[in-house]
Amino acid sequence: MQDNKKMQDKKTYEIRGSQLIDICRDAALKINKHKVDEFEIFTASSVENEIEIFKGKVETLSFSDSIGVGIRIFKDRSIGYAYTTVLEEKSIEECIRKAVSNCKITSREDYNYLPGEEDSILKKKLIDDRSLFHEDFLDYTIESKVELAKKLEVLTRSRDTRIVDIDSVGYHDSIYETAILNSAGFCDKYKTTTCLIYVSAISKQEGDTSTGDFFGCAREPAGLDLEEIAQKAADRSVSVLGGEKIKSQRADLLLDPVVSAQLLGVVAGCLTADSVQKRKSLFEGKVGQKIFSIGVNIFDDGTIPDGLSSRPFDGEGIIKGKTRVFEDGYLRTYLYNTYTARKDKTRSTGNAVRASYRSTPEVGISNFYMEPSDIGFEKLLSDVDRGFYVIDVIGLHSGVNPISGQMSMGAKGIWIENGSFKQPVREVTIGTDILSFCRSIRKIGNDLKFIPASGYIGSPSILVSDIMISGK
Amino acid sequence: MIENRLTKQILNILLGNGADFSEIFIQKRASNNIRLEDSKIENSSSGYELGCGLRLWVGDSTFYAYVDSLEESKLLDAAKILSSAINGAGSLKVLDLTEAKSPYVTVVKKLPDSVQADAKKDTLELIDRSARDFNPAIIQVTSTLSDTEEETYVANSYGSFSSEKIVKVFLAVNVVARRGKDIRTGYKSLARSSGYEAFDFKNPVDLALEASKIAVNMLDAVGAPAGEFPVVIGPAFGGVIFHEACGHGLEADAVLKNASVFRDKIGKKIASEIVTAIDDSTLKYRWGSYKFDGEGFPSNRTVLIKDGILQNYIYDLRTSKKLGAKQTGNGRRQSFRDVPFPRMSNTFIDSGNEDPDSIIGSVSKGIYAKEFAGGQVDPATGDFVFGISEGYIIENGKISFPIKDTTIIGNGPEALKRIEAVGNNLDFAPGFCGKNDQLVSNEVGQPTIKVEKITVGGIKD
Repeated sequence: MQDNKKMQDKKTYEIRGSQLIDICRDAALKINKHKVDEFEIFTASSVENEIEIFKGKVETLSFSDSIGVGIRIFKDRSIGYAYTTVLEEKSIEECIRKAVSNCKITSREDYNYLPGEEDSILKKKLIDDRSLFHEDFLDYTIESKVELAKKLEVLTRSRDTRIVDIDSVGYHDSIYETAILNSAGFCDKYKTTTCLIYVSAISKQEGDTSTGDFFGCAREPAGLDLEEIAQKAADRSVSVLGGEKIKSQRADLLLDPVVSAQLLGVVAGCLTADSVQKRKSLFEGKVGQKIFSIGVNIFDDGTIPDGLSSRPFDGEGIIKGKTRVFEDGYLRTYLYNTYTARKDKTRSTGNAVRASYRSTPEVGISNFYMEPSDIGFEKLLSDVDRGFYVIDVIGLHSGVNPISGQMSMGAKGIWIENGSFKQPVREVTIGTDILSFCRSIRKIGNDLKFIPASGYIGSPSILVSDIMISGK
Repeated sequence: MIENRLTKQILNILLGNGADFSEIFIQKRASNNIRLEDSKIENSSSGYELGCGLRLWVGDSTFYAYVDSLEESKLLDAAKILSSAINGAGSLKVLDLTEAKSPYVTVVKKLPDSVQADAKKDTLELIDRSARDFNPAIIQVTSTLSDTEEETYVANSYGSFSSEKIVKVFLAVNVVARRGKDIRTGYKSLARSSGYEAFDFKNPVDLALEASKIAVNMLDAVGAPAGEFPVVIGPAFGGVIFHEACGHGLEADAVLKNASVFRDKIGKKIASEIVTAIDDSTLKYRWGSYKFDGEGFPSNRTVLIKDGILQNYIYDLRTSKKLGAKQTGNGRRQSFRDVPFPRMSNTFIDSGNEDPDSIIGSVSKGIYAKEFAGGQVDPATGDFVFGISEGYIIENGKISFPIKDTTIIGNGPEALKRIEAVGNNLDFAPGFCGKNDQLVSNEVGQPTIKVEKITVGGIKD
């Protein structure tokens, strides 16, 4: 690693602050020259650092500083969209022209108009920049971030003599700023800091190879617990060494939070009002019904200070709060943006999500999590007579069909007998369907863990009964 | 897109503090995307992106930065800042630039710009009608049509530059069928590195009907049996098995990091002797084809496995230098924001001799996997999965009941050796491949093949 001091000196971050609002205002003036009914301008910028370490050296160090503008035009109850990453005057004008022209072919809908006061449940913001943006983040030099990643590599390697390689260690952070201005009078901005570190360890024993990874994320590097990340990655790698395929059978599953959170993410995807209204959700017509056999509580909460998907307002400017999606095992509500809420004669839950300035606001989750219980992992484990502790799953995107509800994925972990771990297991699949999965949950642990996915999804360890395992 | 003078100036600034290599990558991209759902055009959006990525190497380290602009002053500033990441003394300098040549020459007939928005709308509405008319069980049709026009330019400190104009068209149809409580889906896509003449290659209505047929057929699906069975994998998208079971493990970055089961296996038998596998980015108009890769090297046909023997890995420039091999034109990147690394292009198992029907006929009890939802692999262990979205039970050499969506799990090196039959019906299917958070376009391909034994993720004992 060369000295980055000079670069660091030149690269101190200047908060864009009102610059994004200024971009919105300039664009608004230009839109006013066109004949449109309403408009919305979304801007987002991010400054990112990405560091990859291999064998104690910087393998890749990349810097990025990007900005983009997305414009939504409403005309005769039709919507057109366009975006640009080039902010010169003529590019913005071209972007507006395209957005206006895109209105011509989209369908007319009575509900196509900007959100107003009446669309929002909340009137006052519940979270702001002070919890989402850590000033201390700006004090970390690139050097110090590189050292962090190097330290994680060393820590992970030293955890177990069977760890032979660290195939990837990476650190990634970003300062994100965004602003929305619309012709109905909304104009606001916020900013966030986030950092993510991950490590993947390869272990070997008697000709068998195993991999295991873990990660941590926080608002600033001080929030990353390297010791814990190293330990978990090492454990996840070595604990499945020597794993073998088992006989196909039905058994109970004890799901690690990393696994249960991924499965909860599948459930979350079926709860958007958009998928329900388009008849693509198994939860259609199920509000008020008992979905889980036990008293599960699940929230979509955009107000958690550490939640990476927390935000004062959503992708169309609706104030974001905490939504109780499941209460005591009963489905209480779907997740709404304003368009889908108007269709269902209700109000938005603040779930308009924009993946970036490239896309229009769709319905999605914020921090979506299952409330933990007070049952420790050891207790969950001791309650399993014959079961499979699932440490990791593979092929979720190809093995889960959120519309038909079928879930089938590769799994690895450890076989459990009489409440204690027996032999490692790999190259098997687990299969069920979404509604059966919800019904099969028997117990919930106390070890809530969040994973960054499309949204930020949290789950404790969970015990699921009687699931088909396919092996030999 | 940029003057030679400025290119040289930037490359030399990047070399100025002792870098071993410098590169500039410029990309301009205009795209249009239209989506139909609920029999309505829900979304019509257009995008414009322009930017420049700068890369340098010193020793084993890569440094990368990009700017969303082509303004001379911004490019020079970015180059100076990136160059200051290292503080040695520069000895290399670029004096001349020579244009690289590529074997890949294509002609675009119908540019996206020449196709009216109304015509695109009509296509989507026709797809919607065709699917819904196919069967009353069809309750939802989602169809997306997108096109991109792109220009790229790459120059590096070896004194080479290349430029390319790329036009792409992508059309996807998702269909949902419902009977009682059972909901099933069907998916088909058409993706070409060409203009709208893509619709001459495949008619959008046919695409709609094929997707509809899958969804409706699957309404009769039963739970797949659990356990190990012989599996016959259909042509085209079936190639996803090779992509996952072997392809990713042949990408040289995994090999370099000792994270591939295929390391140190060149010249060795890794697959059944009836298997020959190829990565070919020169196949005209295919989704994974290009004139130059993301590092400006010409596209190439690389034989990966010949008669079961491993011949070559899939390289980008950096991994080829480190492993002392010739780069294979597979250094790809999602955009100017991203560092390139080795990626597959169009990767397939080559045609064999057997009649596909007799392959199915040879199985007394097994599974026929026809359409797929993708897959995933852990290259270090070789363990892979792929999802079957249209599959059937084979009984006494005949296709019987369809099975519900299921996952197949196997180990790459073992599965390759268990390929017992390769058909004579090679075909391809387009898709997207994600790795290290970067998506690139690929095609997978194969004729019908038979794997002797593999675990089917069933839900029935």
